[in-house]
Order: sequence, then structure tokens, then C-alpha cells
Amino acid sequence: MRTTLRWAGVLAALLVGLGLQTQLYAGQERTAGTVLMFVALAVAWNLIGGFAGYACFGQVGFFGLGGYAAAVLIIHLNLSFWLALPLAGLIAGVFAAVVGAPLLRLKGHYFAVATLGVAEGLRELVTNLPRLTGGGAGITIPTVGKEAPTPWLGNDGFYILFLLLAVGAVAVGLLVSVSRAGYALRAIHQDEDAAAAVGVNTTVAKTVTFAVSAALTGAVGAAYAFQQITIFPERLFDVDITVLMVVMVVLGGSGTVIGPVLGAVSVAFISEWLRQNYPQVHTFLLGGLIIAAVVMLPQGFTSYLADAVRTRRFSLLDNVRRYRL
Amino acid sequence: MAGQVVNQFAQATLYGLLQGGLLALVAVGFSLVWGVLNVVNLAHGAFVLGGAYVAFELNSWLGLDPFLGMVPAALVLFGIGYVLQRYLVNLVVNAPIFITLLLTFGLQLLAVNGMSLLFTANYRSIPTGYAATPLPLPGDVRVPVGRLLAALLAVAITIGLGYVMRRTRTGLSILATGMDRGAARLMGIKAAHVYALTFGIAAGLAGAAGAAVGAVSTFSPADAGRFTLFSFVAAVLGGLGTMSGALYGGLLLGLAEAWGGQLLPGTLINALAFGVLVVVLAVRPQGLAGKAFYAARVEV
Amino acid sequence: MTLRATGLSRRFGGLLAVSGVDLELVPGKLLGVIGPNGAGKSTLINLLTGHLRPTTGRVEVDGRDMTGARPWRIAHAGVARTFQIVKPFRGMTVLDNVAVGALFGPAHRRTVAAAKRTALDALERVGLAGRANDPPAELSVADARRLELAKALALRPQVLLLDEVLAGLRPGEIQPALDLIDSLRKEGLALLMVEHVMHAIAAVSDEVLVLHHGEVLTSGEPGTVLADSRVIEAYLGKRYAK
Repeated sequence: MRTTLRWAGVLAALLVGLGLQTQLYAGQERTAGTVLMFVALAVAWNLIGGFAGYACFGQVGFFGLGGYAAAVLIIHLNLSFWLALPLAGLIAGVFAAVVGAPLLRLKGHYFAVATLGVAEGLRELVTNLPRLTGGGAGITIPTVGKEAPTPWLGNDGFYILFLLLAVGAVAVGLLVSVSRAGYALRAIHQDEDAAAAVGVNTTVAKTVTFAVSAALTGAVGAAYAFQQITIFPERLFDVDITVLMVVMVVLGGSGTVIGPVLGAVSVAFISEWLRQNYPQVHTFLLGGLIIAAVVMLPQGFTSYLADAVRTRRFSLLDNVRRYRL
Repeated sequence: MAGQVVNQFAQATLYGLLQGGLLALVAVGFSLVWGVLNVVNLAHGAFVLGGAYVAFELNSWLGLDPFLGMVPAALVLFGIGYVLQRYLVNLVVNAPIFITLLLTFGLQLLAVNGMSLLFTANYRSIPTGYAATPLPLPGDVRVPVGRLLAALLAVAITIGLGYVMRRTRTGLSILATGMDRGAARLMGIKAAHVYALTFGIAAGLAGAAGAAVGAVSTFSPADAGRFTLFSFVAAVLGGLGTMSGALYGGLLLGLAEAWGGQLLPGTLINALAFGVLVVVLAVRPQGLAGKAFYAARVEV
Repeated sequence: MTLRATGLSRRFGGLLAVSGVDLELVPGKLLGVIGPNGAGKSTLINLLTGHLRPTTGRVEVDGRDMTGARPWRIAHAGVARTFQIVKPFRGMTVLDNVAVGALFGPAHRRTVAAAKRTALDALERVGLAGRANDPPAELSVADARRLELAKALALRPQVLLLDEVLAGLRPGEIQPALDLIDSLRKEGLALLMVEHVMHAIAAVSDEVLVLHHGEVLTSGEPGTVLADSRVIEAYLGKRYAK
């Protein structure tokens, strides 16, 4: 019964999102599109980072891989964007499965920074293959005229695309959460040895989750690349994107379905607001915000709310004492 | 012709070792904090830059030689590090790792952007009369005096740290807290203070290294991330938490960078460094000198 | 279904934690494993269940070679275990803890609802059905051990390895636990029980194996083994062996 409600919620969100599209100006539409993009990214990260507990700090590697894969497929193979998008996701997913074989045997910090190394390595690789990827000078996807297999989607089009990707990601997240897979991942997160002892094939579970998370992220990257038209390695593989994803999930509440959505919406809006109003110091302020958020809401907003309602104690200071030495 | 290649190779090797010695000093603090506090400090590179700017300002205002400036740089950064750990990082020490990673990343954003605002992002260096003078060695290999001095100081400090850690009460209390915080507290060790001390020492060492960097090359806030990454690679290569590990790791990394620069074009060396990092983590997470790190791998 | 180990050993660097151990578990029989601390008992269980790879030796389940198989394959073959230090899934309810095994063990329940029913059965078996919706953190020591057992039973195993399940139990809690174990034996499970509580071992084992420094010191009938002077010497030293 509860599950049906949640699925209904997802459908409602889709309808609301579509309806909203008619009410927004172009500038607002672009911001909303960015917010939706981050919703998709955060939800995808949450699969491996929140449910399974493997904090991947190289997620942007899949984002950039998807973006560049799509660009290369459109430019060099003249494929339609609608074919390039799923292929980019597939490429990212397969890459994750391959790279996950050695990496998912690592725990904690080692996994986090090994994945960071992979992402940075991908960035360097892309920068050093200029004939394929344009290298550091960037590459431009044709969007008009005879050279373009698919015309640029326009602000409306991209808004809807990101909305679909976000809703799709949330649907995958919800599916994982309520299914057998969710049990397996949560068990792995809590105690991997015990999970294996009761029959969970932890290798397959982790690898599939990693691959799905990467594929979703890669597809979003492809959409982003097409929207940006001209892409550069520093932007498509920017570590800040991973960090934003992680902050969103942490703030919203990892391991839940609604948490990353809430976190993504709030952080993305705040980040955009900062960027527009304090362009010189917005990164500085963002750093301060991240610190404050992590110290005051380490368990995430959804957990905080659940605990606060249950115990009637709303003080954030209690949170600060939670993980202290 | 062959002689020229050998010469180039020898030059690169020497350069790599010197650079590596300096990297070791940067890495040893990072490795110490990771080993003792289980905190991966993504802001570590910013401490290096902090030390460089301290030495730079002292040089601008008082004409202080940057190698002498290593001392005030170390002290200032020690203070900053101590306060940061005691009153901020200690708040999340028991949290899951991505919390501490986010916190230190936020610190890095603050620090790097703060320094950019204060000092501008322009590349700077600290001029001395003598640093660039090359010492001629047999075989037509040259070593700039400054780099030699920096490397020697760095290695000396690193080895000295190892001694201090194993022979003094403070050092032993740091090591003990790193091994078993609960037991250490039962022995009367104040963990909050010890953690802050460790973080402060790491920051101080990074600051000292920063001053040396300022003397031998250019620097800007944008370099912070690179230093953090080098620290990470060196720490992992050498083995966590061991002073000698950071030393080996730093030297190895310096050599790899120098040789790589001879053989590979452009920034592909960095890609290689990441590749090596990932392979090492996958195959031998305890690094070259580290003891077996069962905690690194999933047992199943 | 039988589990047989031959020549099992495991080396950690310079230390031979388990050396040349042979044992066989048969349906309806309980093998007690005793030995002083550090004798290699938990290592032995880890070797039998795939959590550690043997350095040498073989593990066979019903004649099928399972040496070095991963823990989930061994679980799927019908071998379940409990952990000496209990390992509950903290974020889940007691019921969900057991449901994981029902979903992924050999019973392989396809839906969450069916798994929860199997889990409830297991909880009733161990007497924990009343706490199904509580978080594991709120359980007493005895109940936490029951949860460990229920998780293993959700696999509907034919071989069950118990690692110090009686540790930390009050005297009044031990007998019910022994009764439960005895009933499992009567159902035809092949059981192995590592234990320190000697009267329990004496009461419920068909055969006892003594490990010392990783090697089998002796094995045989409980009464004979427990009176063996070498065994007493291993635990208490020469003075008490006489």
C-alpha cells in the first residue's frame, strides 16, 4: 500500500514537472533543468554511495565519459542524439563494471580515492586524445544544419529531457529500494561478511549497482554535453560536480529515495542563487555552506526530521554532538 | 649521443629525487593524519600553499630568506591546523567517511578561494640570490643549490619526525591514539588534544614544505589540489601511517614524474600516475612499506 | 548432507593458525570443537564457510569440492553459520534481518512478502517472533544470539556451524539454547559447535574435537576427551593435568 503511494508520488512529480514547464520563463527553465539534472545525478550516486555504502568520489568520471562518448558518437559516427544517449549510458555502465572488478574489493577511503583516481585519469586521457575528443581545446557538437544528425532540443526540450532523466532515476531508485535488491544492498552496507554468509552474492550486487549508477550518470552526462554544445574536459570531469552530488545526498539523507531529491533541489537552488548573486565569492561561500551543512546535518535532513518528530527535539546542536569525538 | 641520453637520464633522476624529497615532506603529514585519525584531509595541499604565502609575505616585508621562513611558516600552519582539528574536524571524527571527506573538501574550497581573494591567483615565487645557482656535478649534471637544500631539509625533517614519534612521550601518545583510541583514553590520553596535535603537526610540516616550494619554484592557490593528490599517491604508494612509507612514496613519485616527463608527452604523466595509484590500491593497498592493511580490503 | 574437511590449514604470514585438520559432519550428529583461546577455532569455521581461503586442504559438501568457494556459494549449498561476535544488520528490523537470508539463501524466496513469512517462521523457531519489528540494537545478549541463529535457520540449512553461541549467556539461558540445538540435531541437521562451556559440550555432542595451536590434539567421545590429561594440560597447564 505504501509502495503504491510512492509510485503514485513519482507519477505525480512527473505530471507536475510537465505542467510547470508551461509556466516558466526561459531563464527559469534553464535553472530548473540544471536542478533536475542534479536530482538525477544525486539519485544515481545514492545507489552506490547511499544504499550500498560505497562512497564513490569519482562519479563525475562517468558523467564526463557519457558526455564525451555521446559527443564522439554524434561527431565521428554521425549518430542521432537519441541513439547516442542510451549508448553513452551503456558505455559508462560497462566501463564501471570492468573497473569495478578490482575497485569494489576496496573499502572506505581506499575505494573513494581509487574512484577519484579513475575519474582524474579519464580526464587526463580525454585531454590527451585531441584527434578524438578535441583535447583541452574542447569539442563542439553540431546542432544545426546538415551536419547535425539531431537538431538542438531548445530550452523546452532540454527541460523535458532532464525531467524525464530525473524521474527515471527516481523510479530506478524506488525500484531498488522496495525490491530484493534493496535488501541485498542494505545488508552489504551494514555488514558485508554477514550478508555473504546468508547467501548474498556481494560481488554481483555491488558490480551491478555500480554499473547502473554509472549508466544513469553517463546518460545524464550525454544530455548535458548536447545542451552545452561545446564541452571541455575541465568542465565535464570537474571534481566539484561529484562533491555537489555527495553533498546533496548527504544533506537530503542517504539510503532513502526522497532524500537525494530534497538535497539536490535545495543545494542546486542555493548554488545557483549564490552563483548569480555573488559571482566572485560564490565558491568561497559554497565551501562554508558545505562545512556548516556537514556539521549540522550529517545524518541528512530526512533522518533528522524523522528523529526530531519522534523525539520532539528539534535542536540542530544535538546533531553537532552526534559524531563528535 | 648515447652520452647525452645518459646525461639527460641522470639529470632527470637527480631532479626526480630532489623533487621527491620535497614531496615526501608534503606527504608525511597527510599520511600521519590518515593513519592516526583515519581522516583523508582534502585540504592538505592548501596548507602547503599557506606556508608558501607566509614565507612570501615575510620575505616581502622583512626580507626573510624562505628557507629560514620555513620555521615561522611551520609554526603558523601548526596553529591553524591545531585549531581547525580541535574545534571543527573533531566534530565529525566518528561520522562515515564521506562526511569527513566533504568537510575537508569544504575547507579546501574556503582556503583556496580565500587565498585567491587575498593574494590573487597570480603565480609567485620567493627570490633568493643563490637558489638558482647550479652546482656542477660530474657528467655535466647540474643541480640548483636551492633544490638541493630544499630536498635535504625535507628529508631531514621527515626522518626527524619519525624519531620524535617513536622516542618522545608526545609522539608515542599520538601513535597509541592512532592504534586504539579507546584504550589510549583509558590510559589518560586526551584524544581531542592528541588529534589536534597530530593535525597541527601535519599542517606545520606542509607549511614548511610550502616555504621551500616557494623558494625553488612558482606557486599559486590553484596548485593546492595537485599537492593533495601527490600526497595521496605518495602515502598510498609508500604505505599509510609510516614515516618511512611517505618518504619512499614521495621519492618514488618524484622519480616517476621526472622519468615520465622524459618519456611521455604532456599531461599524460598524470594519467599514468592515476593508473599506478589505482593498480597499487587494487593489488597491494598496504603500499610498499606498510604493514598488511586488512581494513583496506573487503574480506569476503 | 555431509561436510568433510581434509588436511585443512591456513597460514597468516609466519603463523600457522590451522594445521592439518580433518573432520566430518554427518546428519543428526553434533561435533563439538573445543580448545584454548587462539587454538584456531574461529579460523576453522571461516575456512569451512569460505570467509577465508585455505592454504592447503579440501572442503567437500556432499562430495562436491567447495574449497575456497565464496561464502554465498557455500550458503547456497546448504551450509549456514553464526558469528562469534554477532553481526546484525543494524539499520533493519529483526524481521528484515532474517528476511535477507530468506531472499538470497537456497530457499530463494522471490518476493519480499514471501521472505518475510519464512523469516517469521525462523523467528518463531528460536522464540524471537515477539521482537520482529524491533531494531537489533535493543536486543539483549541472549536475544541477539537468537537472532544470529534465526538468520542462519532462514537458509533452511542442512549443515549448521555454531561459533560460541552460548558465550555471555546467563546459566538460566543456556538450557533453552541447548534444547533448541538438540531439536535441530534431531531434525537431521549436521552440526558443529565451537564452545567454551564444557558442560554444554558434554551434554550435547556426539563427538568432540580438541584444537590446540591449530592442530587436532585429540578427538572422540565427550567423556573420554574431556578427561584426557593432554586436554586438561592444554587448558590449564601441567599442574592440573595430573
